Amino acid sequence: MSIAGLGPHGERAVPADQIQLTAIDTIEAQARRFTVAVVLHTTSSDWSKQELAGIAATLGLHSAALVEVVDCNFDVDQQIAALTRLAEEPVDAVISIPIGNARVAEAHRKLTQSGRKLVLLDNAPTGMLPGTDYASVVSTDNFGLGQSCAAMLSKHIPSGGAAGILGYGIDFFATHEREIAFRKWMGINRPDVTLVRERFSELDSAGTAALEMLRSTPGLAGIFAVWDVPAMKAVRALAQQGYDIPITTVDLGNEVAIEMARHGMIKGVGAQMPYDQGSAAARVTLAALLGLAVPPWVALGGREVTPFDVIEAYQVIWHQPAPRIIIESLRDMGGAQN
Amino acid sequence: MAEEKTALRSVGRPRSVDAAQASLALLLNLVRTETATTRQELERSSELGRAVVADRLATMIELGLLKEGELGQATGGRAPRQMRFRQDAGSLLVSAIDQSSIALGIADLNGQLLVEHHEAAQLNEGPEVILDRLATIFDWLLEETEKPAPWGIGLALPGPIEKSPTEFEAVPVLQSLQSWHGFPFLERLSMRFGVPIFARSGVQTMTMGEAKAGGGRGLSDIIYVKLGRSISAGLISEGQLHRGAQGAAGMIGHSRVGDDLLEALAGADAIARDGMAAAADGRSPYLAQTLSRRGELSVVDIGHAAQLGDLFCVDLLGRCGRFVGEALAPLTNLINPALIVIGGVVAESGGDSLLAGIREAVYRQSHPMVSRDLQIMRSQMGASSGLVGAAQVVVEELFAPPMLQGWIGQGSPLRHPEFQKSLERLTETLAAKPAPQAGRVAP
Repeated sequence: MSIAGLGPHGERAVPADQIQLTAIDTIEAQARRFTVAVVLHTTSSDWSKQELAGIAATLGLHSAALVEVVDCNFDVDQQIAALTRLAEEPVDAVISIPIGNARVAEAHRKLTQSGRKLVLLDNAPTGMLPGTDYASVVSTDNFGLGQSCAAMLSKHIPSGGAAGILGYGIDFFATHEREIAFRKWMGINRPDVTLVRERFSELDSAGTAALEMLRSTPGLAGIFAVWDVPAMKAVRALAQQGYDIPITTVDLGNEVAIEMARHGMIKGVGAQMPYDQGSAAARVTLAALLGLAVPPWVALGGREVTPFDVIEAYQVIWHQPAPRIIIESLRDMGGAQN
Repeated sequence: MAEEKTALRSVGRPRSVDAAQASLALLLNLVRTETATTRQELERSSELGRAVVADRLATMIELGLLKEGELGQATGGRAPRQMRFRQDAGSLLVSAIDQSSIALGIADLNGQLLVEHHEAAQLNEGPEVILDRLATIFDWLLEETEKPAPWGIGLALPGPIEKSPTEFEAVPVLQSLQSWHGFPFLERLSMRFGVPIFARSGVQTMTMGEAKAGGGRGLSDIIYVKLGRSISAGLISEGQLHRGAQGAAGMIGHSRVGDDLLEALAGADAIARDGMAAAADGRSPYLAQTLSRRGELSVVDIGHAAQLGDLFCVDLLGRCGRFVGEALAPLTNLINPALIVIGGVVAESGGDSLLAGIREAVYRQSHPMVSRDLQIMRSQMGASSGLVGAAQVVVEELFAPPMLQGWIGQGSPLRHPEFQKSLERLTETLAAKPAPQAGRVAP
């Protein structure tokens, strides 16, 4: 997928594969033995594990040590505390995914002011500036993911039908971009489709929100969920009530992959490439530590996944073989490849 | 209601409603700009009596414009309570429309950007499409972020914007775009949200944005140069944006370099054109590869090639930088700025070669005193500067003393009598003459 979105300050994307360290850069990085910490919203999701794997492997190749991984458990205060502490710790750089918007800006800014290099994942809080407040943002093209999900869901919505958006009720840039892009694509390409929306602020209420959409719009023909975990909450809640609704979502988590392989409700996924994103973030961090100019916004395209190529997509996205259950599910459905 | 209340008060005894409005406006601006925040400071700065100050503050607290804040510094005796402006009493919608992208955001009443969104858009799709897109995203942002209702819209538009002859009067927009002529863009957007709208050229708002939140923060004399498909400059001198007699100041892209216009040599299209030629005749192997892979080239590719050491691209961007610097040097001698900020897609992509070319020409052709402490830097704000600047335009307009006196008694600019009248006029005009359809409408 090409990159459709613009950066946090309207920047044109520099594709992640264009960020490469030369042999001389690598030798210098290896000699300087940098130390890096990572601050994530959670470390338990499939996305986080792969992101960390990409970061750790790439840093390791350049003799840089990943000395700490902080799990903020989606808690803004925990993130602020972690950044404040790291500003005093002997680390050269921090890779962080900002959890809230303005609320975590100051803690990130102070980390940079302490002399550490800061590379952000996914977004920069409003008001933070590249160069002064952080080195770079490394992000998936969330706008492109939203467009993909709209295009894939559109095939399941009859003319004049209704589609639902299961949106996140928290100020979070990546999910905002996906929803805006989904709406834009539908507005331009399927003006006949009526869009309805329910929001959830906590994951456990995503299923209830999906059911609420169906109650308020009985003819609902499909749902777009802004990421895979709430999508699967919706799948379970809907299945319990006997519904079978086409759903598209972002990220090929294990449960979503299994649901797709079973030819269940998940009909399409716009997947991030977390390992590749982590690797790109590590390269950008090393480049910044070496004093090289780094672009303010480095982006990676996503990958569209359908039930028909879920095994291959799994291998590309997760850098490992698809679990047995996925392969067997597809075989049972007659869709597995030899 | 508030006006009646003010008139009825015996304390302070304003000679007329006008005098009351003037003192309210004066005190609000003193608090808002944090020039004076305690009662004692306000009495001193405004030269109003204690009773009048107390009365006006009480009125503005009742109107929801001020609130009591934390305790200030004690100067012997009790620590004074500080007054605070309610920057969340309303919100400002801001947008920057460019040739190939739109940016939208919501700011508070201090002009602080709270949320922003940027996306690709083609101006040649027509005003109806852009108008509809703006309205859709503004609606979504307001609902999503649960910000207070808007008090005004600030717009940054490509091309010069004429000065408005009177308050709340929309000016002809986008003279430089043939297909937008006669389309009531500002009027329709103002009507859609029921708020006053204020527009400036993109480069002027970006200049204001850089001065407020970018490299020019705290400086009173700066030049901002936008290097995109067109080339233009904005100027802040002694803290004030210079708009020019017609509002068209800063069109340096029309300077001559030999027989050519500057923007025909150093604009984004010109750089892409030179890159295409170099790819075709083999002067740039990197560009040749990129062209064969993608079928097109942009200034972003040329900037990237320069960073990778492609000699043709390094030389091309350095030469463009010198052309721009030669156009800037006379301005530098004339204005004596502390800072020149270079922005726009060419600056974002151009890397060090472009900046080095600009510096070389400006420093060579400027008087030593002028260039002694002069800094030349690339913008860090990108398109966000247009949003911050657009918010600043609305703040300056709404809180300019003559305008403020017109609405402060009502508690909101939306209840300004002149704005109410202008809305009525707009309703009649737009109802009588349906807007021409210009392009496809995206719902």
